[in-house]
Amino acid sequence: MQNAKDTFYVMLQGRLAALNPSRTIVVRGVVRPGTLVDENELPTGSIPVDVFRMEWTGLQINSGASLPLVTMECSIAYCTDGSSGDGGMDRGRLLAGMDAELASALGAEPHTVQKMNYSAAGTGVAPIAMGTNVFCADPTSGAVTSVDGRLARTSTVQVFAYQEVGEL
Amino acid sequence: MSDLSGSSAAARATDVLLRAMGGRKVMLRMPTPAVPADVTEQLGIATPTFQDLPLAPVVYRKARATLAADVAAKCELLVSVTAVEAIVGSLAFASASVLFAAAYGVLCGNELLEIVATSEEQAFGRPYVYRLLLRVPLTQVV
Repeated sequence: MQNAKDTFYVMLQGRLAALNPSRTIVVRGVVRPGTLVDENELPTGSIPVDVFRMEWTGLQINSGASLPLVTMECSIAYCTDGSSGDGGMDRGRLLAGMDAELASALGAEPHTVQKMNYSAAGTGVAPIAMGTNVFCADPTSGAVTSVDGRLARTSTVQVFAYQEVGEL
Repeated sequence: MSDLSGSSAAARATDVLLRAMGGRKVMLRMPTPAVPADVTEQLGIATPTFQDLPLAPVVYRKARATLAADVAAKCELLVSVTAVEAIVGSLAFASASVLFAAAYGVLCGNELLEIVATSEEQAFGRPYVYRLLLRVPLTQVV
């Protein structure tokens, strides 16, 4: 399961960064593409704006086949306050831009990517390719919420992967 | 008295008051900077190390933390501006707010408290004391 989560994150981050390289976030002094997994970062009470925050919320395992099929639900939350220079009046347009980027990244073909094992990867060490793929469905977008002028939306996407022998 | 010397005097006077109120030392726990382009950090495989930086003098504004059922207790810490400015300068942070945003928490004795919010009090246009709203770890909530 963890390999599928890691693979999906790296794929989605790469696609979103290709669509909009200027969407970035500074994490511990380093500029990164503006996509992160909440559970992989230091806990914090602040919510970063204008970036995509992924959370793994649902899990279902179908063990009827020889390789168990794992279905995971990934929630992708994003919000914006608008540009301060524009007094936040462009927040609707910025949220629409993020909607379009996410839809384009998740709708791009192919809907599969080869599952990779990143546990031994590091600087100069490539991840290990595994024998099965990770699949994803089309996303479902939730309603926009507006709190104190901040617009936010959460989209969910189902991610499927086969659990290989010996895989955690 | 110029504004600059006035603000410095306010900061020194605050330090004296903090010490007079039993000012103590706490540690600001900072994670080491991330490794550029290291995907393992983004995946939670590689974790940062931490360094503890001393903050003194500091004083709890309220002797007792704010308590409520099933909610993490909160308390407020007054921090000397001279101590904060020394760290901001030595670690080349852009400002104190950036420093506190990057911090993982405040170590008070053996207890690591999360920084929930920060604010500052100003005199002559410069801060003379910082206020940190801290929350005890959820693991200690009963």
